Amino acid sequence: MSKRFWATVVSLMLLLGLLASAGCGTSQPTSHENNAQPITLQAEQKTALNPKAQAMEKALMEQLQPMPQMNTGDKIGVLVISLTNPYWVGMRDAYLAVAKDLGVAVDVASAPTEGDTKSQLETLEAMTAKDYKAMILSPIEPFNLVPGVVKANQKGIKVVNLGPPIDPATLRQAGGHLDGKITVDFEEQGAMAARYIVDKIGSDGGKVAIIQGIPGAGQSEGRTNGARKVFEQSKGINLVSIQPGNWDRNTAYNIATNLVQAHSDLKAIFCCNDVMALAAADALEAAGKRQGKIVFGVDFIQQAQEAIKAGKLDGSIAYSSKVYARAGLILAMKAVQGHTLPAAVYSPLAAVTRENVGEFENWQ
Amino acid sequence: MMNESTWKTLLSRHLSQLLLIAALAGLMLYLSAASPFFWQWENLRNIADQSALMMILGVGMTLVIIAGGIDLSVGAIAALSGIIMALLLKSGTNSTAALTAGLVVGVLAGLSTGGLISRMRLNPFIVTLAMMSVIRGVALILSQGMPVYNFPAEVTWLGKGFAAGLPVPLWLALAVVLAGVLVLNTTRFGQYVQAIGGNEEALHRSGVQVRLYKTAIYALSGFCAALAGIIVAARLNTAEPTAGWMFELEAIAAVILGGTSMKGGVGSVAGTVIACLLLGVLRNGLTILSIHSYYQQLLIGLIILFAVVSSEIREGIS
Repeated sequence: MSKRFWATVVSLMLLLGLLASAGCGTSQPTSHENNAQPITLQAEQKTALNPKAQAMEKALMEQLQPMPQMNTGDKIGVLVISLTNPYWVGMRDAYLAVAKDLGVAVDVASAPTEGDTKSQLETLEAMTAKDYKAMILSPIEPFNLVPGVVKANQKGIKVVNLGPPIDPATLRQAGGHLDGKITVDFEEQGAMAARYIVDKIGSDGGKVAIIQGIPGAGQSEGRTNGARKVFEQSKGINLVSIQPGNWDRNTAYNIATNLVQAHSDLKAIFCCNDVMALAAADALEAAGKRQGKIVFGVDFIQQAQEAIKAGKLDGSIAYSSKVYARAGLILAMKAVQGHTLPAAVYSPLAAVTRENVGEFENWQ
Repeated sequence: MMNESTWKTLLSRHLSQLLLIAALAGLMLYLSAASPFFWQWENLRNIADQSALMMILGVGMTLVIIAGGIDLSVGAIAALSGIIMALLLKSGTNSTAALTAGLVVGVLAGLSTGGLISRMRLNPFIVTLAMMSVIRGVALILSQGMPVYNFPAEVTWLGKGFAAGLPVPLWLALAVVLAGVLVLNTTRFGQYVQAIGGNEEALHRSGVQVRLYKTAIYALSGFCAALAGIIVAARLNTAEPTAGWMFELEAIAAVILGGTSMKGGVGSVAGTVIACLLLGVLRNGLTILSIHSYYQQLLIGLIILFAVVSSEIREGIS
C-alpha cells in the first residue's frame, strides 16, 4: 500500500521534472503563416518604440540595406543562451514580436542553464534535424556550438551568429562557416562606461574597480578589457582591483562590501552587467558608503532603469533588444534569399545615466 | 560498545578542528600583516556576515552528511523559498505570512526528498540531484525566469539590518549553529543521526524508526536552505530563480573541510562553522589583496583538496 503510494509520488515527481526542464529548455513555437496581419502589427510596433531606439534602429537598418523580401513565412530557428536569465527572456520576447512583424515563423530554444555548454550543442544538433531555412545562434562560449554549425552548413541551413562570438578560426578548421554575424562591441560597452566614469571623477582622479562576470566568458572579458584600457590611459585614475562576480548578485554584493572596506576612497565600480551593479550599489548603501561613488552596469534591464531613475544606480549601457533581434532576423532572411552579407554588423549603443534616463522611457 | 576506537575518532575529530583553527589564525595573521584594512572591526564583521549564509546551510548539510547522506537540492530550495516569499509579498500578503510560507516550502521540499530516500531506499545523491532540477524548474516556472524585487523594510532588515551591533543574518546563523550543536550532541535525535551514518541496519534492528528520523534530517536541511534563501533575497532586495547557484557545493565543501567524514557517522557542527569562517576570510583576503580573478578559483579549490587529502591521510594513520 505505502510502497505503491510512494511509487506514484516518485513517478509524479519525475514527470514534473521532465515538464519543468521542457518548460525552460525547449522551444516556444509560434507560427504566423498569415501574411495579412504583419502590416498593422508593424505600425503598432513603430509607435511603441522609443525615439532613441528608433534612431538606433535607423542607424542599424542603414547597415542592412537592401532589405529582404518580407512575409515569406520562412521557418527560422533561434538558439539563445538561457531562459533563466532575464536578458534572454527579453530577447526571446523581442524575437517573437519581431517575427510577427516581418512575417516569418520563429522557434526559440535555449540551454537549460547559463553554463551548460554541452546541452546547448545538443539542442542545436536536434534543431538541425528540423526544416529551418536559417538559424540565429548565441553561444555560451566561442567553441561549444562549432560541431553543430558544421552540421547546419552541410544541411544548407543558413547560420547567423548574434551576440557572443563563435570562434571563426576553430570553425574554419572544422570545415564550417557563418553566413552572417551581428554583435555588440563588448569592448566598446566597457569603454563607454569607463569614459563616463573618468569624466565624472574629473581632474582630481582616484581609485576605481571592476567586477567581472565569469572570467573567460566573452562578454565579461570584452567589457573588462574595454574599461581597463580607458582607465589605464586616463591620467590620475588608479584601477585597484578586478574581481570575479560570476554574474551573481550575492557574490557581487560581498565583493563590493570588501572592496570599499579595503579602499574607502574608491570613486567608482564598473560591473560587467546590471544584476551585479544593482547588488554592488545595494552593498555600498548598506555599508553607508554609497555617497560620492559611481556604480555603473551594462544591459539596461528594467530593474536597472528603475534604479537609475530612483538615483540608486549611476548608469548602464543600453542597446535595444527589439532592434537587435530585428536586425538578426533580417540578416537571416537576407542569407536565405541569397543576398551578400557584410562580414559583421554592430548594434548601436547608448550610455544611459542619471542625466538622460528620462529619454529612455518604454525602452525595449 | 567501541571504546578504543571511539576515543581515537574523538581525538582525530578534535585534531582536525585544531588544525583548522591554526590555519584560520595563520591566515588572519598573514592578512593583517599584508593589509592595513584587514584587522578592522568593520571588516571582521563583514566576514562574519558573509559567512552566515554558509553556516546556516552548513549546519543542515552537516547533519545530512553525518547521517550518511548528501543533499544537492539546497541551492534550488533556497531559490524557490525566496521566489515564493517574494511572489506572496508582491500579491499583498503580509510579511510574516510570506516569510512563514517561504520556510514551510523549504520544509515540505525536504520532507518529500527525505520521504523518497527513506521510504523507497533510494540513493540520496540521485534523489536530491533530481529534486534540485525539479525544484529549480518550479522556481523558474513560477517566476517566468524574471527577478522579483522591492520588498518592505521589515523583510530587507532580515538580510542587511543590525541588532545589538551585529548583522541580523549573523544572529540567525548563530541561533541555527547553537541549535545544531545542541541537537547533535545532547538529544536522542542527535545520537540517532550519528548512528544512522555509522550503521543504519543495526539501528533499524534495535527497533528505532529509522525512516522517520531520516526524513526529519532532510526536512531540517530544507529548513536551513529556505532560511538561507530568504536571507539572500532580503539582502539583495531581489528574489531570482537562479539564486543559490552552487550553494550545495559550497556547503558540502565547508562540511568536508570541517572534518566531517563523507562516509557518515563522524562529524561536527563546530568544524563546519570554523571551515565557513576560513573560507570567508580567504575570499575576503583575496579581494582585499586584489588577487587576480583567474587565480581565485584555483586557490580555493587547492585549499579544499589539500584539506581533504590531509584528513584522509590522518584517518589512515590513526
